Amino acid sequence: MTAMDADQLSELLSRCALRDQQAFRTLYTHSSAKLFAVAVRITRRRDWAEEVLQESFINIWNHCANYSAAKSAPMTWMTAIVRNRALDLLRRPREVEIDEGHEDMMASIPDESPGPEELLKQSMEAGALAECMKQLTGEQQKSIALAFFNGLSHGELARQMQKPLGTVKTWIRRGLERLRTCLDAQAI
Amino acid sequence: MKFANEALRNKLAAEYVLGTMSARARRRFDINLKENPALRRAVAEWEKRLTPLALALPEIEPPSRVWQVIESRIRPGRQARPGFWESLSFWRISSFASGLVALALLILVALPGVPPADDTRMVVVMNDLQTSNPAMTVSWEPRKPGKRVMRIRVIGHADMAPGTAWELWMLPGKEQKPVSLGLITTHDAQIVIVPEPLAAKLDGAEGLAMSVEPAGGSPTGLPSGPVLYAGKCVET
Repeated sequence: MTAMDADQLSELLSRCALRDQQAFRTLYTHSSAKLFAVAVRITRRRDWAEEVLQESFINIWNHCANYSAAKSAPMTWMTAIVRNRALDLLRRPREVEIDEGHEDMMASIPDESPGPEELLKQSMEAGALAECMKQLTGEQQKSIALAFFNGLSHGELARQMQKPLGTVKTWIRRGLERLRTCLDAQAI
Repeated sequence: MKFANEALRNKLAAEYVLGTMSARARRRFDINLKENPALRRAVAEWEKRLTPLALALPEIEPPSRVWQVIESRIRPGRQARPGFWESLSFWRISSFASGLVALALLILVALPGVPPADDTRMVVVMNDLQTSNPAMTVSWEPRKPGKRVMRIRVIGHADMAPGTAWELWMLPGKEQKPVSLGLITTHDAQIVIVPEPLAAKLDGAEGLAMSVEPAGGSPTGLPSGPVLYAGKCVET
């Protein structure tokens, strides 16, 4: 699969707005593997990730007329759709407490795939975000990576990191604030 | 206004994008997002900041069955909206039951402030192409010197997605390209003035259509977004 740049993906999205199914197919071919990785990472289950990817692309097809290249890059826009759907799905069963198998799976994350800190390192190879991430404390980095890659809520983070809820919230809040200041300064 | 404080907007947007909100907080936030453009901007900024993390994940090829399901669900005739030119074939399907026209006339006559027709009028009942229900009516007095005053009624409470605009098009018929009549709003009663050179052409148009365009209107001069409503011109 060849990588497509943002302009090419934007053009495909605008053709989708004209109900061009061929363009949509091309869009899927060039973005689904990246987006599926995002869905798999958060949901931790292939079947859920497939559902997320499927519903996200139906959503993209139905709303591509709303996409504005001036407001966000195509992959940013599509990733947000996938992440939001995955997070909604992930939050759902916690409330009714079903599927203990999934809880077991959650517990075994560190053994079966790269942990969030490792992923953070992988993603830190280039770019402004990497530079700014390095300015955070270890705890701030870890809590932000756990939340982002594993889709954990504040409460779940506190349990997993075995720290008081208030402490974890503060790490995240201060970490994000420092990230924002650093990224916005680099953007100027 | 809710979330007038920028620091609060920024904090909540960051938590939403990072994904640390509980299910209930997410649902509440989703509702606020729909109503608050400043909050949407804050979220878009955080998405821009954090998405590089997600895109650094090693790619995973999804199984082919995922695309098969997507493809079957976007096929025309299912829930997808028809394309613009497909919507033109819509005219030929004579789905304009005379009852709908009668209903539209009844609405027009019953409205306060709409003068009774003293002569013939052109009436267009524009249907929602997804539901086939009447969504908008347009009427004007044809064959006069000068401009045309089009009276537009939007039936029901339609939503316009943020950052988009509704553009009204004249479909001249006989394979000619659509001509823009300008942007309209979702207000239930509005007027569009069509100036002279276009006015006479309007009387002979085959139909009208409304498409969803980027804010400010179609960048190409032709419909670029999905056509939501369309209808045929009828002289009464």
